[in-house]
Amino acid sequence: MQFTIEVGRYNPEGRYADSAIPGEPFPPPWDRAVPRRYQTYVVELPEHAVVLDALIAIREQQDESLALRCACRSAICGSCAMWINGHAQLACKSKLREFTKNGKTRVEAPPSMPVIRDLVTDMTPFWRKHARVRPWLENKPLPAGPMEEYTVPNEAMEELLQEVSCISCGACLMDCESFAVNKDFLGPQALAKAYRYVADPRDARHRTRLAELSDRHGVWDCTHCYECVQQCPKGVAPLEQILKLRRLAVEAGFTDNPGARHARAFAASVEHSGRLNELTLMPKSVGLFNVVGQLKTLPSAINMARAGKLPPLKHTKIPGVKRIRAIFERVGGRPK
Amino acid sequence: MKVAFYSGCVSKGACPELYASAMKIAEPLGLELVELTQAPCTGAGVLSEQNPEVADALNGLILAMAEEIDADLMTICSTCQGVLAGHNHDLRRDPRRMEKVNAAIADQGFYYHGTTEVKHLLWMLVEDIGLERVAAAIRRKLAGLRIAPFYGCYILRPEEYLGLRERPERKTYLERLITLLGAEPVEYRGATKCCGFPMITFNRDVSLGMAGNHLLEAKERGADLLVTPCPLCHLNLDAQQPDAARVLKKKIDVPVLHLPQLLGLAFGMRPEELRLDHHVVPTKGVLEKVELKV
Amino acid sequence: MIIDHDVVVLGAGLAGMRAALETARAGADVAIVTKVHPIRSHSNAAQGGINAAIGEGDSWESHAFDTIKGSDYLADQDAVEVMCREAPADIIEFEHMGVIFYRDENGKLGTRAFGGASQARTYFVGDITGQALLVTLYDQILKAGVKVYEEWFATSLYVEDGACRGLVALELITGELHFLRAKAVINCAGGLGRVFEPSTNAMICTGDGYALAYRAGAPLMDMEMVQYHPTTLAGSGFLMTEAARGEGAYLINAKGERFLKDYAPNKMELAARDVISRAEATEIEKGNGVDGCVLLDLRHLGPDIVLKKLPQIHEMAIDYLGIDMLKEPVPVRPGMHYQMGGIKTDINGATPLPGLYAAGEVACVSVHGGNRLGANSLLDTIVFGRRAGRAAAAYVKTVTPTRRSTAILKSEQERIDELLARPYTGETHARLRLELATLMDKNVGVYRNEAGLREALAKIRELKERYGRLAVGDKGRVFNQALQFALEVGYMLDCAETIVLGALERKESRGAQARTDFPERNDAEWLKHILVKYRPGEAPELSYSPVKITNWQPEARVY
Repeated sequence: MQFTIEVGRYNPEGRYADSAIPGEPFPPPWDRAVPRRYQTYVVELPEHAVVLDALIAIREQQDESLALRCACRSAICGSCAMWINGHAQLACKSKLREFTKNGKTRVEAPPSMPVIRDLVTDMTPFWRKHARVRPWLENKPLPAGPMEEYTVPNEAMEELLQEVSCISCGACLMDCESFAVNKDFLGPQALAKAYRYVADPRDARHRTRLAELSDRHGVWDCTHCYECVQQCPKGVAPLEQILKLRRLAVEAGFTDNPGARHARAFAASVEHSGRLNELTLMPKSVGLFNVVGQLKTLPSAINMARAGKLPPLKHTKIPGVKRIRAIFERVGGRPK
Repeated sequence: MKVAFYSGCVSKGACPELYASAMKIAEPLGLELVELTQAPCTGAGVLSEQNPEVADALNGLILAMAEEIDADLMTICSTCQGVLAGHNHDLRRDPRRMEKVNAAIADQGFYYHGTTEVKHLLWMLVEDIGLERVAAAIRRKLAGLRIAPFYGCYILRPEEYLGLRERPERKTYLERLITLLGAEPVEYRGATKCCGFPMITFNRDVSLGMAGNHLLEAKERGADLLVTPCPLCHLNLDAQQPDAARVLKKKIDVPVLHLPQLLGLAFGMRPEELRLDHHVVPTKGVLEKVELKV
Repeated sequence: MIIDHDVVVLGAGLAGMRAALETARAGADVAIVTKVHPIRSHSNAAQGGINAAIGEGDSWESHAFDTIKGSDYLADQDAVEVMCREAPADIIEFEHMGVIFYRDENGKLGTRAFGGASQARTYFVGDITGQALLVTLYDQILKAGVKVYEEWFATSLYVEDGACRGLVALELITGELHFLRAKAVINCAGGLGRVFEPSTNAMICTGDGYALAYRAGAPLMDMEMVQYHPTTLAGSGFLMTEAARGEGAYLINAKGERFLKDYAPNKMELAARDVISRAEATEIEKGNGVDGCVLLDLRHLGPDIVLKKLPQIHEMAIDYLGIDMLKEPVPVRPGMHYQMGGIKTDINGATPLPGLYAAGEVACVSVHGGNRLGANSLLDTIVFGRRAGRAAAAYVKTVTPTRRSTAILKSEQERIDELLARPYTGETHARLRLELATLMDKNVGVYRNEAGLREALAKIRELKERYGRLAVGDKGRVFNQALQFALEVGYMLDCAETIVLGALERKESRGAQARTDFPERNDAEWLKHILVKYRPGEAPELSYSPVKITNWQPEARVY
């Protein structure tokens, strides 16, 4: 079966393959993306072939100058993550026939990260974030004998298995919307890795980790959009790990930040009135004494007032709100 | 057809134009909206994060309320859709969780058997009401308009909660509707991305950067306006648009419509009926283009 | 650039990182050179587990005997003793580093059964043990602040006055050649799966470590001992872990019979790998196969075991063959998997070339002899990685290199420039490799004979000659992979030659070497290692080295 592959080519030396065709400019708003051209190839492969098969075939038979990272071909090593039709996937796990849009498959390096060449992404930002969370065990006192392992229930190890399945392919970071706008965000992989150590019963740095992660560019920089869950080829579900961290951080008392304040104000509002009090949620999250922060929200508040979109000053409770309060009371689970 | 109508908090708060227009289009679509007036907030995912058991119970309560009147639960907000469908999915698969939820809501006289289907108006238009019926209600074709769909994360991800593995076509309903209404859908990457709303209270500039980027991309692709099935997205894309423009240092000026408003326009209703005069980013430019075709 | 370190470690897999960590702990200045990011190393593909005699009722002697019997008595028993005695402490150390080993109901390390073991002693993490160890070790490297030259491709070892004093590497991102000047090199760049097609190995397993050492003058030992893993996925060659059989999976033929009752009636699916691979090859030859494969049957294990303990292979079968192993058996066949042979070392990782150490798959101590037991490779890497690291650190304290010549940088640059300047005459690296690898699979596979081996040798020499005309299709400097692949083909040709020479020389069947013209094991004449040494301008030199026997006299090997 014939497949058409469009490859985003980039070479800092400015030399493209001899048969390079000028392509369309890359669309904004990723105007920070490295400029690239698209070169089209046609390959003949079995119908169940994956994108990586096509790229290897191109490299071996048509164009030796195509650069890409790959090793295991079986979704274990994490080398071949790239943008395929605009979403970050492992090339070795993406079937060509499922990723054909308008008759072709477009592959390229993700625009939110620097490019070394062609499909070879500069993963330095990724590895830096990984190292930032101090991703190693800071041991609690070792067990009695030197030849003795820690005693931990298997469930505790199984809880960490989801994150340990992470192959550091980078797909989550490549498609992270928050990272695309804010390069300092620690990102899904690093935060999931942080959870793996926070939740390890053998680690002694639990509180310090949570404090650091509650700080700038940590767990509260995540926009909760599930892209990382969707794109992860290993089921790590980084967002779920981030949410667990948020809960642990609030439980541990790290609540003096807008994110934690937002979560508590939200819960308090729903408990009190059965619904969201938009009027007070913003100021409460920003921090009642955060004058600069409050002032920043003023223009949009004025705009909304002008458009008649400001919620009524008197916040009404839903009928039967007692029911809601009873549920809160009964189920509890309130952050301390 | 009868539906258990869940309005969500925002359509009664900062986006009254959504509630108003949803009410208006019910009749031409043959929808009998039985509003669940006593239903609480779903928690919007925030509650699920910090108080998962309370969120379970509240969502279970909403689902039980719909079950009681024996109708599908219709949402008009992508976030409500995602959260309710997510909890529904988990409760159905985990009998222990269901038991806990029912223990919590039993005191209030409710019990959830797990039979409620949660469907956004967007899905119902195609799957239950049917596009022929929608077409039949059109009085004013929106020809000449280039409309960029903006779905909102929670109606697209995670796929297993939203039945998207079984019905992947749900990821294209907005484009289909736009085409049906006579307009041209704009293809751009931001259509399925996050608007940044979840972070607007605690990460303002990043949130605005996200919203602004998607608006600018759509504009670059020739969009006259955006349409979205989520009022939270609408807040970040419309109400916060001037601030987003300030953060990105670029002019945007792209109006954003709610899904029911777009339908209402096509059904021949007046802009005031649909509260199109109550947006932060003026919709006049769009309306002028449409009026010309009448 | 010229960079000075005390010790340079080549390869960032489990052995390399463990060696570097140990060297750093011993206070020496060490750096790792690796052609891929450490986490991409092929150690991550090891699935099933790691052996150690920790459990009650188990003993290192039992583990050692199983290993020696498994090796078909070619293993050096002093090395096996060291590995089995030190295994428990190494496992515990890794547990302390944070590896999330499976626990039993008391919260202590728990085991699973594995091939060739007289009792269960395999410790594991799901079916991703290799990956779990690798990521933990990488995090420890970060913690210790060890320097890593990432995506630097070694082109040559540097030998000065008869000792190895460093290496030259191509920095892929800039295309610049660097001379890493050191007092010792620890070679941990093992794996040569790409010499065969198909193989379970990643595309990066191109025999770099073996060829670099060989060209520097270190002898390669037992290279003919190439392990064919019995359960590799049909078509792709992807590994279906032995742990599946450890959890109770069956191997059945076209008639649905568990055919191993005819070949290994006692251990059945948990016999040694070479025994099972031969059994499969024979069954398929007899006509009892299914499209050249046999079937791995997990249906009776149920979702609890398969989805919790073998999730990765379950997903692979669905992804690459569309088969759900909970419902259908999976077609598998023997595929090249592991190289038992390698650079000859002693029990401290020292090779006969002073200054050159080796550990991991690339080394031949020899602990695996003629056949490796499952879950012993991960053990090998961490035990001997540690020992080599310590030995190298001690060694460099005694060394002061005198000559500081940097001529090698110039000669390597010339060699590369010449390669890049060649005009295209029809030879590509991809085509050469495929010809070589298909030849090796056909003539140097599970069953071998004199004629096939001779043909292979002649063909390899012809390929080497054609290699001299190979042109590189990318003349750039930044991330020139075509250049890298061209150099790798050179390594593969060297490896292939040593493998065939060893197979020809060993006129017996032992372990993984099964010769139809010499079908019996011949302890009287062949209980010895075969070494191949490079001689520039001449044919390679073959020699022998005795097998060290301590406690276990060779016996008949029956499973």
